[in-house]
Amino acid sequence: MAYYLMLFAAGFAGSFHCIGMCGGFACALGRDPHGHASTVLRHLLYNTGRLTTYCFLGGLAGTLGQVICTPQGMTVSLVGGSLDSAQRILAIVAGLLMIGMALQFFGLLQGFHRLASGFGSSTLAIPLRSLLTARGRAAPLAFGVFNGFLPCPLVYAFVAQAASAAGALPGFLTMASFGLGTFPAMLMMGGVGLALPSAWRQRGVWLAGSCILLLGLITIGRGILPIAAHIAHG
Amino acid sequence: MTDDRLCRHCLLTIGPRAMRRTVNGENCAFCCYGCCIAFQVRSGKSEEWEAAWLLIRLGVGGFLSMNIMLFSLLLYTGAFTGVDARLLPWVHLLLWIFATPALVILGGPFLRETWLDGVQGRLRSSALIVVGVGAAYIYSAFAVIERGTHVYFDTATMVLMLFTVGRYLEAAGRARAARDLEPLLAAESACATVVNGGAETRRAVRDIKARMLVRVRPGERIPIDGVVTEGESHTDEAVITGESRQVAKSVGSPVIAGSINLDGPLLIRSSGAGTATRWAQICRSVRDALVRRSPTQRVADRVVGASVPLVLALGGLTIFYWAQWLPLERALLFGLAVLVVACPCAVGLAAPLATSLGIGRLARCGCLVRDPGVLEALARTRLLAFDKTGTLTSGRAHVVGIESDGAGTGEVLARAAGLERHSEHGLAHAVAVAAAARGLEPVPTRNVRTVPGRGICGSAEGQPVAAGSGAFMRDLGWLLPPALAEQGRTREASGHSAVYVGWGGRVHAVLSLDDTPLPEARATIEALRYRGLRVMLLTGDLPAAAQRVAAVVGIETGDIQAGLAPEAKSVALDRHQQAYNVVAMVGDGLNDGPALARADVGIAVGSATDLARETAALVLPAGGLWMLPWAVDVARAVRMTILSNLMWAFGYNCIALTLAMLGWLQPVLAAAIMAGSSIIVVLNSLRLERLPDPVPSAAPDQSAAVESTPTMHTSGLQIIADQAIP
Repeated sequence: MAYYLMLFAAGFAGSFHCIGMCGGFACALGRDPHGHASTVLRHLLYNTGRLTTYCFLGGLAGTLGQVICTPQGMTVSLVGGSLDSAQRILAIVAGLLMIGMALQFFGLLQGFHRLASGFGSSTLAIPLRSLLTARGRAAPLAFGVFNGFLPCPLVYAFVAQAASAAGALPGFLTMASFGLGTFPAMLMMGGVGLALPSAWRQRGVWLAGSCILLLGLITIGRGILPIAAHIAHG
Repeated sequence: MTDDRLCRHCLLTIGPRAMRRTVNGENCAFCCYGCCIAFQVRSGKSEEWEAAWLLIRLGVGGFLSMNIMLFSLLLYTGAFTGVDARLLPWVHLLLWIFATPALVILGGPFLRETWLDGVQGRLRSSALIVVGVGAAYIYSAFAVIERGTHVYFDTATMVLMLFTVGRYLEAAGRARAARDLEPLLAAESACATVVNGGAETRRAVRDIKARMLVRVRPGERIPIDGVVTEGESHTDEAVITGESRQVAKSVGSPVIAGSINLDGPLLIRSSGAGTATRWAQICRSVRDALVRRSPTQRVADRVVGASVPLVLALGGLTIFYWAQWLPLERALLFGLAVLVVACPCAVGLAAPLATSLGIGRLARCGCLVRDPGVLEALARTRLLAFDKTGTLTSGRAHVVGIESDGAGTGEVLARAAGLERHSEHGLAHAVAVAAAARGLEPVPTRNVRTVPGRGICGSAEGQPVAAGSGAFMRDLGWLLPPALAEQGRTREASGHSAVYVGWGGRVHAVLSLDDTPLPEARATIEALRYRGLRVMLLTGDLPAAAQRVAAVVGIETGDIQAGLAPEAKSVALDRHQQAYNVVAMVGDGLNDGPALARADVGIAVGSATDLARETAALVLPAGGLWMLPWAVDVARAVRMTILSNLMWAFGYNCIALTLAMLGWLQPVLAAAIMAGSSIIVVLNSLRLERLPDPVPSAAPDQSAAVESTPTMHTSGLQIIADQAIP
């Protein structure tokens, strides 16, 4: 449980990064003319759509991790622990990915940034704008669903984390915690339309980067430490 | 005026299962669901309700199917076992509740397609999806009611989702195929700003009449042929001439429809109806070509048509067979995989996409394809027959030799040019050009008199001067030295034109004129040979003239057939067709129409004739002979792409079908594979975009022609003949 709380916190910290792009969408979604309740509903729907995509990606990544980690008849039981070697390798890879993303938040590894957000953000984002102004309850939900697929290093980092969880349920829970963590900031952005001063935003991005860096290190640790322990014992 | 036969998005033929929709207030027809989505995503304005509505439906469909998939993943990985097992029926019910709207939203377009086809008595690939998905859904619904252990709502919705996304991606790729064709097809829907007095009105180009004033702003396409009456600018005429370079335009310059006005506003007086421009002709011709189907395409369509019932039968057999050994639900799942994996979408896409890319690629360089089958035929051609005059040669006479009885060449040319510049005749022009090329000042000549068909005479520097045929000289009663007369006769016998030049009552020289081979002809023929083609010369001219040109351009003596009447050319082509199966004929489109029409591939170079009456299937731009080897390359690349597409699509289908029948393929995986195969066909076809541009094998530099062609030297005299100087 503490693990998911940590992910939630990381999502919350990371959401200061979201304000940059997705926050713009949330603002554009704006207020509903039918009153405050409708506005809240509108933004809840949008965020639900986003959360669904995240959860789906998490579940998928977790299943993929599980498939990788439990090859039939190939489980190498070098270490008699809860983690087999495949899962450890997965954890190390995911950890490295997360550290890469985190470094990019600090303005390092620009090539990584292009790789992460070069694909399709403009081609996808522009036509999606028509959804922002569309009438109807379903439009914000649909927009949220597509929004979740927009390239975002933060999401990639957590998907990697979900994959290393090696299971549909933990993967789903990982992304759900992260997604819920981004709720407060996004709801605030939409509901209040509050624009944070850019200095604050920069601090938020650094905070997000630190959180992901920390998570990445922990994840790598999960991969490496049993080996270390094993060697020590051996 | 939009044509309903071509898809608005990818410009492929629509066929009977058109989707019609109103986008931005226009009625648009699409060839498939994917194009419909892609076009609305790309072009739908944000205030358009319908474009947004489509995305909303997709988004909600995605929302529902992702939830279904998520729960199903949890089910498969055993999250609801043990204590939570009693939750299972409720989870199934929840899935059903999610799946029903998802199926309606995502499956609606497929169901509609199937219904429309069914009404017309046809079965198409969408029927496979509808049957498969419908079966999975209905089975799962019963399973929920009867509290079964397995439901397959996830399979049903994911198959639909994957097909929808696959079709969207495929259509997005196909739009790139249309990119080269768009400027050509824009002619019919173009608008023009007509200036009438002080008022400016926007009108469709087809309403433009001659002598109307049209304003064209910088960056716009000039919609009509005409003359600039106001303003200065540069234009890019690449769409028509294939050459992308800036041409300066000022008051009085003619402009052609389809060129882009680059930097200044222009006021243009239309010189003809808006529908009579070459641009509009090209547009109609390209549209007709795109609508036609190539033989390969017809075969592929027939296969697709036959395969749907076959696959349905195979799916049924699979279920029947497996149901004897396995529970019905597993058998149904195998059957569903068979139906989904055997969707023959990629086969239907293989030929038209590659062909339209090839047509667009050629069109960008000014080469027009009038029939899609011609690309495949040209790729298979092993024999190319050339017409001589106007195709391998410039079609214009040049002075190739001057023989005199002692007078200086310069004096002869200067005197002749002094006379001939008063004449409009083609040979006269050639003489004036030759003098100018040598920097000679024409001798001022007065009292010039032309005798049509014979020659021209006048007086210069106090003595009579004349130029013309031998008969003309005899008429004048001038002395014609026998050496010069003999020389002239020899030249005429070898297919030259001879012009006698005399002054002071005596003939002093004979000029021989010839139609010179194009400077790029030799390199072109070599390039064609390098591509393994046999090159022939079929001409109506004298054998000697044919020999001479053949020697210059590098065609072997054995491959020349001279003195052929137009019909005889067709007969000669017929004969070779038996040996070579596919033959191509290259002509100028003027006097070799029957041969061009007879050949499997008729190629016209720089055709001056009306495109609508053009018999050639491939039209190269004026001066575009050098592009022929490149056109052959493009045709071969297109054919290779079609073949590899077909092989891929068929092979893929066969292997996947086998795996599915053996029960080794999950339906969701099968749908992903199928969507992938169409996308791979699109990507493989898009490789055609990367073909290199044509590289001029020899600079088409006409001005050097007089100097560069081998002149035959003989000492002697002159005469001219049938093509006399007026």
